[in-house]
Amino acid sequence: MPQQIKRLIIAFAVFLLLFLVLRQVLRPDSFGELGHFRAKAIPENMKREMHYTIADSCTKCHKEIRAEKDKGLHSRLKCEVCHGPGLNHATYAGQFKKGELPDSLKLYKPVERKDCAICHQLNAARIKIQFDTINTTMVHQIDPLKHNPGDTDTKEVFKCIDCHNPHQP
Amino acid sequence: MKKDNNTLTRRDFFKAGTILAGGVTVTAALAPYDGLLFAAEAPNAKGIWYGIGIDINKCIGCGKCANACKEENNVPKAPFYFRSWVEQYTIKNDGTIVVESPNGGIDGFKQTVPDKDIFKSFFVPKMCNHCAKSPCTQVCPVGATFETEEGIVLVDENYCIGCRYCVQACPYGCRYIHPEKGTVDKCTLCFHRLKKGLKPACFEMCPTEARIFGDLNDPGSKINYFLKNHTCMVIKPNLNTGSKLFYNALSSEVR
Repeated sequence: MPQQIKRLIIAFAVFLLLFLVLRQVLRPDSFGELGHFRAKAIPENMKREMHYTIADSCTKCHKEIRAEKDKGLHSRLKCEVCHGPGLNHATYAGQFKKGELPDSLKLYKPVERKDCAICHQLNAARIKIQFDTINTTMVHQIDPLKHNPGDTDTKEVFKCIDCHNPHQP
Repeated sequence: MKKDNNTLTRRDFFKAGTILAGGVTVTAALAPYDGLLFAAEAPNAKGIWYGIGIDINKCIGCGKCANACKEENNVPKAPFYFRSWVEQYTIKNDGTIVVESPNGGIDGFKQTVPDKDIFKSFFVPKMCNHCAKSPCTQVCPVGATFETEEGIVLVDENYCIGCRYCVQACPYGCRYIHPEKGTVDKCTLCFHRLKKGLKPACFEMCPTEARIFGDLNDPGSKINYFLKNHTCMVIKPNLNTGSKLFYNALSSEVR
């Protein structure tokens, strides 16, 4: 074998060895077990923190509101749709007496006109809704500027909840 | 002694040349059918294979899905980071299209086009399509984004280098760079909830049940019922991304 070929082979072998060692050092743990990614990324993605509760957590304490809501048009709405994420509230609020709940555990109370308008404001894209089982043809819509806008003299603004019970509209 | 290296005959030369040219021609001729084969192929046949359905006729554009997504997944509240958002498409009588998405629809929509000019108007909730042949996972140079066995496209936050290739590659605009982490972030179909047997936050919070998800391999699942009963379409079918987000009543104007 000519000498230059021998030298080339040695050079290649050194490079190959270096590559294998570097690859072993640099390649992250569990890479390639399931594909071209770290297999451990899957359990890492599973570990994220939850903020919304599981289905019936609210009913455990707020039975009367649930019963009230079941009779009305909002019966199929989940509590958190309006009140925001409540996992912390559902987990820890039971330890406190009524009226002593810290602010961090209190849920959002949608009382302003804009809160109702999110779903019920008149919009051309909203007219065609047809529910499968509820006996109504559409989401009721109002123009917030025309529907009881308030007293023009006293500048008093009516809230939707002054007339409508949000749990049983 | 001098060795004669020039042993290639004229016959051998033409033989090798013809094989090479023929091979290239056949491969080139078959290449366009790759996509067709893929499109006709059944999805991952065993185990769970998640698909999503959205009924545009039922969507009232309340933006509760977009809000729920931000709350559940700690997405920055600034109005340009979204994993899930709602767009209002308004097609005017003269044919022009107006697309609006104020803060992703979280604060509700205000109708900007007067009633007399509107031909039709509808809401389109958007989110990651969880493509079976994701362009975004194909471009990742380090393997930090991948499709799981269930057909969910996930990001490996601890391995992402924040190079933004995938943000450009996604034809649906479903990825963003998280301003604090510096890595890419996207819809995980609430993987952490799914694995506990719960619905993803946006599906849980939809007041009109316009969003459906389920196992495409299970003939009795909700998503298969939805697909059978509606005329469904994916966005940008021409890109052949293997999108698994099916819209009922999707207009061709939606991009």
